[in-house]
Amino acid sequence: MIKLKNVSKIYPNGARALMGVNLRIAKGEFVFLVGPSGAGKSTLIKLLYREEIATRGQVLINNINLVRLKNSQIPALRRNMGVIFQDFKLLPNKTVFENVAFALQVIGKNKKEIRESTLSMLDLVGLSSKVKAFPSELSGGEQQRVCVARALVNRPGLLIADEPTGNLDVDTAWGIVDLLDKINKYGTTVVMATHALQIVEQMNKRVVRVEGGRIIEDKAGEEVRIGI
Amino acid sequence: MAFNSVRYILVQGLVSLKRNLWLSLASILTVAVSLILLGSSIIFLANTATIAKTFESQVQIAVFLDDKLNDGQVVAIQNRIKNLPGIESVTLTTKEQALWEFQESMSTTSLLEDLGGINPFPDKITIVATDPKLVQGIASQVEKISGVESVRYGQGILEKLLAFTNWLRWIGVAVVAAFTFAALLLISLSIKTNVNSREKEIQIMRLVGASNSFIRWPFIIEGLVVGLVGALVAVVAVGFAYSWLLQYIISTLAFIPVVANQQFLLMVFLIMMLGGMLMGTLASVISVRKFLRF
Repeated sequence: MIKLKNVSKIYPNGARALMGVNLRIAKGEFVFLVGPSGAGKSTLIKLLYREEIATRGQVLINNINLVRLKNSQIPALRRNMGVIFQDFKLLPNKTVFENVAFALQVIGKNKKEIRESTLSMLDLVGLSSKVKAFPSELSGGEQQRVCVARALVNRPGLLIADEPTGNLDVDTAWGIVDLLDKINKYGTTVVMATHALQIVEQMNKRVVRVEGGRIIEDKAGEEVRIGI
Repeated sequence: MAFNSVRYILVQGLVSLKRNLWLSLASILTVAVSLILLGSSIIFLANTATIAKTFESQVQIAVFLDDKLNDGQVVAIQNRIKNLPGIESVTLTTKEQALWEFQESMSTTSLLEDLGGINPFPDKITIVATDPKLVQGIASQVEKISGVESVRYGQGILEKLLAFTNWLRWIGVAVVAAFTFAALLLISLSIKTNVNSREKEIQIMRLVGASNSFIRWPFIIEGLVVGLVGALVAVVAVGFAYSWLLQYIISTLAFIPVVANQQFLLMVFLIMMLGGMLMGTLASVISVRKFLRF
């Protein structure tokens, strides 16, 4: 599903974020991306949803080279992936329902579809009772669940998570990771950048370690399910 | 684009106006103020141009002819002047006409007898030039024609008048330019504030795969409505203010020529309306563009 071939990223200010990175992630995998701050994790994640463009090499998602992607094709790419962040990025003046429905409205779905998909996704993340609440009335964990629901509401094949538990306490963090694991079991590929080593160890998934812009370790998990 | 999207965009454009009511009002006010400035400066420009033109059109060259010329020679001179470049009109006032006109103004019927049978008026040719700047040149050429006794065109005063009217025109143009610039600046500033306040919304829209046009259109519609409403306010304000000013000038300072025709005012109002819509739309496009660069 994801292929990085000899990818380097040098920012306009000269900072070398990634150097000659090769990485393959198959459909249905759950991959942790770990490494110290400034190692290049975030850059790698940004290349995947085309917020940044690789300076050299190829970034392929479903055999589409993102380096050559036209700007006008970015919306179509993003409709096939969900992205969640450390800082949630919810709209404060919209309710939980509206925040999730927003992702469907902007791609032109009709009211009935929006209502059905949004409610079933909020049910999946366990927020059926908070449909009418505003983000400020929710805990951090609940807010991140809304983000997960929004990221997945149009059923993408790939979920990208950039430090999704960075702002959460340990118990809440586990709640989110369990949710991502559940989603992964339904068939969605998950790539998660994180600092939470305890979670990484206990989950026993594939771990890709990035340091100084290079992949220095790629350890398969116990339950590898390549090719599903 | 699908019907769902079009409806969403229209509703969203209007809803965001309502949600950001104070910001929208501020933008509308900005547009209104800008257009009031623009509209009044256009009216100012038109009036200064009219005043300048009126003053200039009053510049004439008076050519006094030698008393000894016969009628044929007078006509010959008249024709020669007519053939000079830059002549608008040439009018001959014969000495008989001059006497008669003077007699009329004195309300007497026996002027010639009173003067002892001698008509002291010379034949006079009045020249109007197509451009007041040509007056001096024409005058010096006419002076050289034999049979011409003297030429008068308000030497000295003309130069000052021309300098004054030129200056008046430049002020008008400068005022329009300055206010147009200020208006654009104000509007783009207020829309930029609006867009900045919704940066997060735009970011998320991009993240979930909204197309650029889908993100842009609600802002454009918002800008259009803001521009239109602002322009309406400005048109009403300028309309009332100018009609009041016109009445005041006509009743107290009647010697100042003013522009009061309806067509001109309608044109100014139309410019203001179009200007408002254009400014609103343009400011939206420019401000939102910043976020749509990938």
